Amino acid sequence: MSNDRPLASRSYDVADADAANELFQKNGWTDGLPIVPPTEASVRAFLDAASLAPADVVGVEPVRRRHITAEKVAIAAVMAGGRPDYMPVVVAIVQAMCEPPFGLHGSTASTGGSAPFIVVNGPVATLIGMNATHNVLANGNRANATIGRATRLLIVNALGGIPGQLDRSTLGHPGKFTFCIAEDEEDSPWAPLASERGVALGASAVTVMAAESPHQVMNDWTRDPRDLLTTYVAGIRANMLTYSIWAGNYALIVPKQHRNVLVKAGWSKKDIREYVFEGARVTRREWRTVGKAAVASRKDEDQVYTALRSPDDLLVVAAGGPAGGFGMIVPPWYGSKALAVTKTIGGPR
Amino acid sequence: MTLRVLDPRLDAEGEAVTMAPSLTSLHGTVVGLLDNAKIGTETYLDHIEVILKSRFGVREVIRRRKPDASRPVPPEMLGELSGADAILSAVGD
Repeated sequence: MSNDRPLASRSYDVADADAANELFQKNGWTDGLPIVPPTEASVRAFLDAASLAPADVVGVEPVRRRHITAEKVAIAAVMAGGRPDYMPVVVAIVQAMCEPPFGLHGSTASTGGSAPFIVVNGPVATLIGMNATHNVLANGNRANATIGRATRLLIVNALGGIPGQLDRSTLGHPGKFTFCIAEDEEDSPWAPLASERGVALGASAVTVMAAESPHQVMNDWTRDPRDLLTTYVAGIRANMLTYSIWAGNYALIVPKQHRNVLVKAGWSKKDIREYVFEGARVTRREWRTVGKAAVASRKDEDQVYTALRSPDDLLVVAAGGPAGGFGMIVPPWYGSKALAVTKTIGGPR
Repeated sequence: MTLRVLDPRLDAEGEAVTMAPSLTSLHGTVVGLLDNAKIGTETYLDHIEVILKSRFGVREVIRRRKPDASRPVPPEMLGELSGADAILSAVGD
């Protein structure tokens, strides 16, 4: 497929993989961790796996109009340490991030320091061996780790999202290294996230949102779905008060133990979204309780702010290990200035 | 034996953008003041406007506020600013 088309990238001759890594480190072309050297052979293998030619444009970043070629996506995916069969997933992530509602430029450049949070649905997650259970948000799985990392390396190298340059993050968060999970569709009776967002059942898709650091909640002590979700709601309310009050997409990662409580009570994802939409709201006056009196008084303090613009803004994801009453709240970067986008893997470009 | 590795960077495309030539004097000019919509920008530009007029003899300012700090200036707003001799784009975070 790609083998008869020339590659556009400049090349450098180095002694070996160690020397390649030193070159990339010295030039600031990494996230700080070692990379796998992108060679013509490896890049072509990744392009072939996604049936792409090197010059194919995977997406156009809408603000600075950077045309992101398949070749640069493949280079990032190789560098991240992935396998060729991950490439179609990375391509779909780039397509999603280039949709204007995603807000790629703003969320990359912002002092707020967000990271693309990626959820993979459908058969591809099993085919490439993604993790949806133990330690789902962290280390241990090659696909989860390197698909998210490829996304970051592409932002650094193709979009210039270099810390202190275009990336103005004050702090950033660890998800900027990698922040990618699969949904545990096998062990959940709920509709998968992607199908709730319009993707045909049985198709594979990614959902991506510019997210702040995840916040873990714990409730081991109830069998009441309302009590359980009230804990999540409290976490969201805390984020609204201490971080950003603006409504947008929040993701909830609901582990098996919590799913058992909710499913036994007959609650669907839709029920969860509606309950959280009603509960996750604050009044402007409450800013006074967290040291923000100086800003509270600028407008009507009785004004009510919801975390979500509507129940559909909540992304409910089944994932996590089989034991433990821990759930995760993934907050948005900055309200609705950056929204979650879902893309079918292998869909039209 | 050597290893040939590929450059991961994406080159910028299109014609290089250059700065407009500097004005020799602000006296009698029209200056555009573009507010990026952040919370402190308006107050900041209020001061700038006073200084430009009182100290530098600027004849007129065109003030516009972006609808969204993280997205580009809408084309019609750029058009409105195009009559200015110089434009200041300010970030008042």
